Amino acid sequence: MIQITGLTKAYRRGRPPALLDLTFDARPGMVTVLLGDEGAGKSTALRLMVELERGHGLTLFDGRTYRRIRRPEREIGVLLATGRPEAGHPGQRARVHLRMLAGAVGVPVRRADDLLEQTRLAGVADHRIGTFSPGMHRRLALAAALLGNPSTLLLDAPTEGLSPGNEEWFGAFLRSFALSGGTVLATTRAPEEAAALADRVVTLDAGRLAADQPVVEFRRTRLHPEVLVRGPQMARLADLLVAQGGQVRRDGGAGLAVSGVGRTEIGELAYRNGILLHELSDRVVERPVSYPSALPSGSGRSGQVTIRTVRQGQGQGQRQDQDQEQGQGQTQDQAAAHRAPAAGQEAPDGRAAAPGEQRPVTVGRPAGPEPERPLDHRGLQAGRWAAAALAPNPPAQAQAQTQAQAQQAQTASVPAPTPPVQVPPVQMSPVAPVPTVDLTRRTPRGSSALGRTTARAAEEETVTGAGAESGAGVSEVRPGARGGERSARPDGGGAVPGLGAVDAEHLAANPTDAELLTPARIRGVGHHPAPVRPLPGRPWSVGSTGLRPAGRTERVEQAGPAEPAGRPRESEEPGEPGPPGQPGAERPGGAGAVDPRGTARRSAVGDENGSE
Amino acid sequence: MRVVASEVRRLCGVRSTWLVAAGALLVNAAVAAFTAARLPAGELAVPDAVRSVAAVVPVLPLPPTVLAAAVLGALAYGNEARWPGLPASRVTLGRRLGALLAKSSVVGAAAVLLAVLTLGVDALAAWLALPAGVDASTVLDPSGLPAAPFAAGGPGRPLAVFVVLAAAGGWAGLLITSLVRSAVVGILLTGALPALLEPTAGLLLHRTGRNWPVWVRELMPFQYGLDLVRDAADRTAGALDGVVVAALLAPAALLVLAAVLAQLRRRSL
Repeated sequence: MIQITGLTKAYRRGRPPALLDLTFDARPGMVTVLLGDEGAGKSTALRLMVELERGHGLTLFDGRTYRRIRRPEREIGVLLATGRPEAGHPGQRARVHLRMLAGAVGVPVRRADDLLEQTRLAGVADHRIGTFSPGMHRRLALAAALLGNPSTLLLDAPTEGLSPGNEEWFGAFLRSFALSGGTVLATTRAPEEAAALADRVVTLDAGRLAADQPVVEFRRTRLHPEVLVRGPQMARLADLLVAQGGQVRRDGGAGLAVSGVGRTEIGELAYRNGILLHELSDRVVERPVSYPSALPSGSGRSGQVTIRTVRQGQGQGQRQDQDQEQGQGQTQDQAAAHRAPAAGQEAPDGRAAAPGEQRPVTVGRPAGPEPERPLDHRGLQAGRWAAAALAPNPPAQAQAQTQAQAQQAQTASVPAPTPPVQVPPVQMSPVAPVPTVDLTRRTPRGSSALGRTTARAAEEETVTGAGAESGAGVSEVRPGARGGERSARPDGGGAVPGLGAVDAEHLAANPTDAELLTPARIRGVGHHPAPVRPLPGRPWSVGSTGLRPAGRTERVEQAGPAEPAGRPRESEEPGEPGPPGQPGAERPGGAGAVDPRGTARRSAVGDENGSE
Repeated sequence: MRVVASEVRRLCGVRSTWLVAAGALLVNAAVAAFTAARLPAGELAVPDAVRSVAAVVPVLPLPPTVLAAAVLGALAYGNEARWPGLPASRVTLGRRLGALLAKSSVVGAAAVLLAVLTLGVDALAAWLALPAGVDASTVLDPSGLPAAPFAAGGPGRPLAVFVVLAAAGGWAGLLITSLVRSAVVGILLTGALPALLEPTAGLLLHRTGRNWPVWVRELMPFQYGLDLVRDAADRTAGALDGVVVAALLAPAALLVLAAVLAQLRRRSL
C-alpha cells in the first residue's frame, strides 16, 4: 500500500508548480497507473515519492517513508526515467551490470541471471549496454528494479520504447505481479496503455490530480473509439454518416473522425454511394476529464450562474481524511457497486436502444441522492471552489426530471429511425437532456474555469446507461484534507439557468471553437452540433493532425437521422451553441438554454444557415 | 561489504578500467626505457634511478601512474553519478557516504596495485634499456636490499612514497569528482592540484625546517615542483612541529571535508 498525500513540487520565482497537492493511494494487488501528458508531473511525483527531489508532501510505503526503509531495494523496486537512455554504463556488459547491482542490493548473483532470463535479455546479456536499443535499456532497468524481489513497484514510463510484443509481455508481468499481491504504480502517457495495464487510473493534468478512476470507468468515460476516414468527398460522406446515426467531426483537412458507425459500415456506405476513400482506420482518442461538480468561476462572467451542489459529509463517512484509507476504500466500493448495474446494462450490446424505447430517465443512476461524489477541489484553482457556497438544491433535480420526462414523451411519438450500429458508449438517447454545468474545461491560467453546458445530462440519462457515470465516475477523486473535506456533486440534472449566456460568451471569446463548424457539415447534417468536451491536455497529446487538439476545438456533430428541424432528438446539448456567429445572438439572456424549444429553434437556424 | 563487492564488480566490469591500466603500463614502460637509455655514463645516482623507474615526465604535474590512478578514481565516481544503476537507493546520506568509502578503498587498492605493477614493468624496461656505461651496482646492491630495503639514501623509500602517492592521486581524483560530478573536470582539477600545492608546501617547508627540504627531495625525486625547495634549503633553521604537519595535511583534510559536505545536500551521488 502506497499512500501518497499532498505531494507538491513548487518552484521559486513564480514558476507554476510541477505538482500540486497530489493525493491518492496505490493498493496492493492492483496496478495503479499515473496517466498524464508530457510535463504533467508524473516523473516528478515518482521522484518525490522516493525523495530524490525536494518537495512537500508525504509518501508512505506501508506506513514508512522511503528513507525509513532499511533496505529499500528489497521492498520497493524503483524504475526512474533518467535523463539518459542507457540503463547503465555503456561500456559495461548487461550481465556484469546486473551482477554489480545484485551485489549492491545484496542478493546472490544467480538472481541477476534469472532476471535476465525473465526480461528476455539472456541472449544479449554478454553484450555491452551501449549497443542496446531503448526497449532493451528499459527492460534492463526493469530487471535492476526487480533485483531485490520487491513487493512494490514504482515504474516511471516502463513501456517507453518497448515493442508491442514486449509491451504485451510487460502487461502480463505486471498483472501477475499484482495478482500475487504486489503493489504497482506505473506512469504512462498513452491512455490506451493505461486502460490496458491498470486496475486504477489516476489522471494528472499540469501537476494536478484530474481524476482517479477504476479502469472500467476510465474506459467508459475517457476512451472513445473512432474511425478516421479520409478522402476527397468527405462532406457527402458526413451527411450519409450522420444519417446513419454516427457522430462526425472534422479531422484535419480532408478527414473525418466518425464515432458510432463501424469501420466496415463506413466502407460499405462509401462504396454504395460511390464515395472515394483514401483512408479508413480505427483509433482511440482520449476524452477529457469531466468534473463531477459544478464549480464557481472566479471571473466576472458567472454573475448569472448559481451553483448548487450537495454538501456531503453528513452521511456515511464522506469526511474522508486523506489518511483514512478505510473510509476511502469503503466509499469507492460503494461507488463501484452503484456503477455495476449500469455497466451490466450496457455491456451486452454496445448499441444504443432505439429512440422509441421507453426507459426511465434515471436508468443507470442509483436511486436517491448519489452517495459519493466528492468534489475534486484540488484540481482547480483554490479560489474558485472556496468561493462557492455549496448548498443542496433538490428542486433543481426534480425540475430537471420533469423536463426530461416531458421531452421523452415527445420523443416516443416519433417513428424510430434506423438504429445506429455500434454506438459508442456515450451515445445519444431519446431522452431529452437537461443542461448542466460542465466544468471540465481546464482553462488557461487566469481565465474562467467555468465551461459550458454540455451533454452531461444527456450522458447521464442515456438509455444505455453508459454515460450515467460519466460525471460520477470521475468523482472518485478524493477530497483533499486541506479543503475541509467538502464533497459536492453536480446536482444531477439540475438546470442552471443562465449558463447559456456564459457559454455563448465563451464561444464568442473563442472563435476557434466556432470556426471549425464548416458550412458543409452544418448544411448536410442539419443538426446542431454537440460538444466534445475539451481535452485538458496539451495540443500534442491529441492524435489530431491539426494545430489544435481535436477534442478541444472541434465539435461532434450529433448523431441522428436526417429529419426536419424540430425533430425530437434534437436536444442532446441544449446549452450548446449553434453554428458560428449564432450563439451569442440566439441566447441573449442564457435562460433559453434550458428551453428545449430554444434548442429546436437554434437547430433550425443552423439548417438555414448552412443550406444553399 | 556489499557495497565494496559491487564496487569491485563495477571496476572490473567497465572497459575503461582496463584501458587506463594498459595505457598506463605502456606509457610507463616506454618512458622508463627512454629515460634509462639517456642516463649519463658512470655511477647511477639513486634519484636518477628512481625517476627512471617511476617513469617521470618532467612536464607532467604528476607521474603517469598517479595520473592513471586519478583517472580511475574520477571515473569511479563520475560513471556512477552519470549512470546510476539504482538511483533511488542512494537517497540517504549514510548510503552515499558508504558508497564513497567503498569507492575510496577500492580505488586506493587499485591504485596501489597499479603502482606496484608499473614499478615492476618500469624496472624491467629500464634494466633492459640501460646503456652499457652506466654502473648500477650501488642502486641494485644485492647485499643491501634484503637487509635494509628502506634504508636512508636507498631507492626503497622513494618508491614506497611513490606507491602512496598513487593511492593519494586516486583518492584525490575520486573526491574532486565527487565535488564536481563530472569525471573530466575531476581529472583536470586533479592534474592542476600539484601546481597549486607544491609551491605552497615548498615555501612552508623552506620557512620552517632545515632538514625537511632535503628529505623531501630525497623522498620525492619525481616531483619536479619541489625543486624550488632545494635552493633555499639551509637558509633558516627551525624545528619541525605539529603545526607544519597539519598545514601540510590541510589540503587533504579540506578535500575530504568538502566531499562530505557536498553529500549532505544531495539526494544522489
